[in-house]
Amino acid sequence: MAEKLGSDRRQKAVNQFGESIRGVSLWLDAWRRLKRNRMALIGLVVIVLYCLVALLAPVLPIYSYKHQVLNHQYLPPSLTRTAGELLLERRQRESLAEARAAGREGLSGEQERELGELRERLAVETMEFDGKPVRVNEKRYLLGTDSLGRDLLARIIYGSRVSIAIGIVGTFTAVMIGIIIGSLAGFLGGGFDYLAMRFVDVLYGLPYMLLVIIFMAVFGRNILNLFVSLAIVSWLTVARVMRGQILSLKNMEFVQAAWVVGAGTGRIIYRHLVPNTLGVVVVFATLQIPSFILLESFLSFLGLGVQAPMSSWGSLVRDGVDGMANYPWLLFFPALTMTIFLFSMNFLGDGLRDALDPQSKNKL
Amino acid sequence: MPAPLFRKQGMTKYIIRRFLGLIPTLLIIMSLSFFIIRVAPGGPFARERSIPKLVLRNILKKYHLDEPLWKQYGRYMLDVVRGDLGPSYRYHDRDVNYFMAQALPDSMVLGLMSLTLAVVFGIGTGIISATRQNTWADYTSMAVAIVGVSIPLFVVGPILMYFFALRWKWFPTSGWFMADASWKTAVMPVITLTLPYFAYIARLSRASILEVLRSDYVRTAQAKGLRPAVVMFKHILKGALLPVVSYLGPAFANIVTGSIVVESIFRVPGLGNVFIQSAQNRDYTMIMGTVIVYSVILLVMNFVVDILYGVLDPRISYR
Repeated sequence: MAEKLGSDRRQKAVNQFGESIRGVSLWLDAWRRLKRNRMALIGLVVIVLYCLVALLAPVLPIYSYKHQVLNHQYLPPSLTRTAGELLLERRQRESLAEARAAGREGLSGEQERELGELRERLAVETMEFDGKPVRVNEKRYLLGTDSLGRDLLARIIYGSRVSIAIGIVGTFTAVMIGIIIGSLAGFLGGGFDYLAMRFVDVLYGLPYMLLVIIFMAVFGRNILNLFVSLAIVSWLTVARVMRGQILSLKNMEFVQAAWVVGAGTGRIIYRHLVPNTLGVVVVFATLQIPSFILLESFLSFLGLGVQAPMSSWGSLVRDGVDGMANYPWLLFFPALTMTIFLFSMNFLGDGLRDALDPQSKNKL
Repeated sequence: MPAPLFRKQGMTKYIIRRFLGLIPTLLIIMSLSFFIIRVAPGGPFARERSIPKLVLRNILKKYHLDEPLWKQYGRYMLDVVRGDLGPSYRYHDRDVNYFMAQALPDSMVLGLMSLTLAVVFGIGTGIISATRQNTWADYTSMAVAIVGVSIPLFVVGPILMYFFALRWKWFPTSGWFMADASWKTAVMPVITLTLPYFAYIARLSRASILEVLRSDYVRTAQAKGLRPAVVMFKHILKGALLPVVSYLGPAFANIVTGSIVVESIFRVPGLGNVFIQSAQNRDYTMIMGTVIVYSVILLVMNFVVDILYGVLDPRISYR
């Protein structure tokens, strides 16, 4: 049948279809609305900045996130002073306290000499990293160091890399699985639809966080398992949404036209149906990224996510909680990083939803 | 005169059918966790220290781990149906039931207190900000709500703990009033666990009250000259609270996961702590026991919410 149609006519039909997708104007329209929402724009800028920093982490002038300098435990954040100066200060404070405990004002001669020695030693001390000697005490830790003398700034930046990567890759995987199963179920109908949707129903009823925790506990705590277990539980909603969309689209004229010119099932789903649902899916995916990041951080916070020496926002907050009584910066900086990101994501998500679906304006 | 509840056609039948529907879900949960755990590499006794072969065999025999998988499965399912969650693999003198009985009340109290507070204050805040839309009261409560919705528990909890427990020493950092003496230990965990759900319910009820406020029947009620309080509680809330009720189902599920975090931050000796510890120890029967207890709670709560929703919403009929 298809061969009987002239190839130029078919080409024309394809072109017309391509033109008639309202995609371009929809997106332009949405962008115009988004631009008017200042909070959403700020959110967008912040998120782009986060992603840039995370992406460029290896070339940024920061220290390693896993090199430990055991002398440099728990150094407080300081913009101007080097590690050596901070160490010297700490020692001086301790000596003064000792002197005061012994009932003297000021330092004794022996203590002065000791401090002088320390100053000299700190100035020349080197450590080898990757085969190169480094003057460790000249390092400046802008956000302080953690319990193993690692730079907190570097750990936060590399942690952001992990968190954001998991958010994006995890969402992508979940959305892909959801699209495939949902569109197949919606399009094929019948037994496959029934089985797939009952399966989704059952999984929906499960306390899925518990299953993820079991999965991580049982199969080992590494990044791959984290991806797998999170993807397994998060494609359900996409599949449902997708199925609904496909159901409402599959009897429309353009699909029948595609049948008539001899397109197969796969081609119809892939070329005709899925592109028409992308708007919904993209919005959903944007909203899904922060929840993925939260899931990952939740697991890492409980010690079931990424493992040392790697870090993620969740594991950094956990480390911060453990030391927060005396070293509050370990908690505050990771928490702040995460909070700013989530706020931005929230504003951007709201803005996007309003922009793409103006009717939802006053709804939650 | 208020219409009696449970007067709807087919209600009883629906309740029974819905209740029977819980059983397959529960069976699937049990089977799933059983098999995930059994196919896992490394058993509970495969640990750093090597045990003599004979001893290991005896241990396996004691826990029936030497039998074929289907037999273990059948044994386990039968035991659970009888209400016996089996022995703990880690603590040899106690069985899982003992730990559940110890931990469950703490978690239940924590969860129910938080949920009640969240509902009461959430709806209250929703009413205030909807009726005083675009005033400072509205802006403040919605700002708090945004914080609560977007910042996760495990960030809020430690920050609250730092200021209220470590800095200002108003409340103890850890412990639990059902085990210790002071009621003060309950304050921080409950507030932390309440915050996100309070925030969500406040936003939800504000939005739906605003929507109902514009409807015709509310205008009629106001035009009749009814007092604002009567309109609010008798007319508006009846319609506006439906979304809140339907949110309660997911809220229970979230409170379960949330309470795991809160219990771990504030060292509440509840189910969440048991779960995390057994997950780290690979205490198989304990993991399964916790999952089953959690699932039963969740399923029952969802069931109750479903029925409640049907009772409250006159548009829903039971065919």
